[in-house]
Amino acid sequence: MKKQPNYLSLSLFLLVMVSCSKDNDNPVANNIALHFNNTFKNTTIVLGDATSSTATANTSAEGQIHHFSELKYVISNIRLIKADGIEIPYHINNLDQGATVVNQAKPQTLDFVLRNVPASEYKQIKFGLGVKPELNILDEARFPNFYAEAGANDTEMHWEWGAGYRFTKLEGFYDSDHKEISIHTGSTVEGTNGDPDTYTQGVDAYRDITLTLPNHAIVGRNAPKITIKADFDKLLSGKINTITLKSKTGGNSHSDDSNATPNVTSAVQMVKFVDNLGGNGSSDITGIFSIGSVAN
Amino acid sequence: MRQVLVIISFFLVLLSCSRDDVSEQIPYDNPEIPLGIPHGFPPLNGSVNGNKPTRYGAELGKKLFHEKRFSGNNTISCASCHNRSKAFADNNIQAIGINGRVGLRNTPPIQNLAFMKFYNWDGNILQLEKQPLVPIITHEEMNSSILEVIRKIRDEYEYKDLFRKAFGDEDITPDRIYRSIAQYEYTLISANSKYDRVKRDKGETFTENEERGYQTFKIKCASCHSTELFTDQSFRNVGFPLNPSAEEAGRARVTGIAADFMRFRVPSLRNVEYTAPYGSFGQFPTLRAVLDYFDNGVLDADNLDPILKENGNRIPLTEQEKQDIISFIKTLSDSTFVRK
Repeated sequence: MKKQPNYLSLSLFLLVMVSCSKDNDNPVANNIALHFNNTFKNTTIVLGDATSSTATANTSAEGQIHHFSELKYVISNIRLIKADGIEIPYHINNLDQGATVVNQAKPQTLDFVLRNVPASEYKQIKFGLGVKPELNILDEARFPNFYAEAGANDTEMHWEWGAGYRFTKLEGFYDSDHKEISIHTGSTVEGTNGDPDTYTQGVDAYRDITLTLPNHAIVGRNAPKITIKADFDKLLSGKINTITLKSKTGGNSHSDDSNATPNVTSAVQMVKFVDNLGGNGSSDITGIFSIGSVAN
Repeated sequence: MRQVLVIISFFLVLLSCSRDDVSEQIPYDNPEIPLGIPHGFPPLNGSVNGNKPTRYGAELGKKLFHEKRFSGNNTISCASCHNRSKAFADNNIQAIGINGRVGLRNTPPIQNLAFMKFYNWDGNILQLEKQPLVPIITHEEMNSSILEVIRKIRDEYEYKDLFRKAFGDEDITPDRIYRSIAQYEYTLISANSKYDRVKRDKGETFTENEERGYQTFKIKCASCHSTELFTDQSFRNVGFPLNPSAEEAGRARVTGIAADFMRFRVPSLRNVEYTAPYGSFGQFPTLRAVLDYFDNGVLDADNLDPILKENGNRIPLTEQEKQDIISFIKTLSDSTFVRK
């Protein structure tokens, strides 16, 4: 009982400290809100079933009209680049905190808040479309929240046979007779792609995106909002590939490479879609993504 | 003050008790199981050395292999499709999982996996430890999750005991589940067929039919079904009837390489007598149907196997040759393996 006054003074001291930092004009960290705007060119996409009259329709460079009923992708490995070039990673090795599934059917998933970003001015954002190979193993014990979010019945972003995550899942319809489009991407890679010492087989569908901000995002007293536009017009009419969807006619032969099957659920023909969505890592490091705005 | 001391001593006693329990748990005789590599078999998959089967690791793996709580509704275990009496395959056309859901492909047998470089029809898995998760989470198979499985089994004494004996403590982790199942599977070696006994000169001989079949087999089958595993572990398009599912692309499903379209891993022919029907989605009800198909001619394709292309897309076989080859193939049946 004798010691209680000491605790009291200690508490008072701490309270004073806390209130001091609140008064401070320069907080050490604040949030950045990312907003994903999924579009066809400049029009935000509205999803719809085969015969929907409200779904946003788009016409590809090759003249194929199409729209989506489902649009999902995984964002992870987020890094912010300060004006001086120093890279600030955001939980890049923790999918529970640093990854999310953007799902056009769930408005709340279009916003992802980066918490406690160090106060600074940022000139670039980098992120991954998909999950980098070393984390892409469906480790439920390690990342139970992301595993559950991605695996939910209305999300279906587990690629079971690949024992990894789906990186994008696009369902929709094309042409006037509403033929199905089903584009699933994900990795099947074993080892490191491009490294002959470790690479054994498969396709790495992870793509690293780098976007330069038109004006610096200034984290400090304010929490900036960065709108990232994802233009799905580029799925078929991309910077790397101009794709014509051609329904499979059957047969035992591998398909003609000049066209693409509208049903991609494995590594077959997947890369041309992956490169359009996420770039090829060299000549194109933005894919469908661009910065809509940075609001400080 | 005295009371405090008494209470502290009481806790100290408790602590020391539990410490003693722990130290009693750690040493356990858990010897490695010698794999007894059969003569002429190819080298072990590199993963075996990192996960050598132990007495309790394999025993635990066997128990897990037969655990129906691996499935969402506790109806399907690994052994439901991988049935020992069928050389750890089954007789369904395509695998049947939870709630009667039909999978994409025919169940592959589990035997001699320690010597395989690739697993499954398309070789998507290269290390056996990475396989058990796939059926657990797949919608058409067990439709569960690894943490759900652990929640269901973690309080059971027998499991705690086996995990402790196999791994040193009672922690049930995903990795330990995968490793113990792989250990059990590594021990499933089939090399005691009549063929093996003839080869080892154990006083048995082929019948006339079997011997003729063996000679024909060496000419007409062994380009692909080679080595003592009776597979060269290559991927080939042999022009079999096509799986209508848009998900099927054979080896190309994994590699994305157009030339791998509808190529499948050449299956081992050991114990094939027990694993009808045949083909990646059970296209053929009998061995005879497979041979008839090759004789009549297969589907053409750009990437049809060169051996077939050079022979007019077929393997010509006489009636006698077919009968002889089947007689020979049945000498690859290991009745002790399937009856254990």
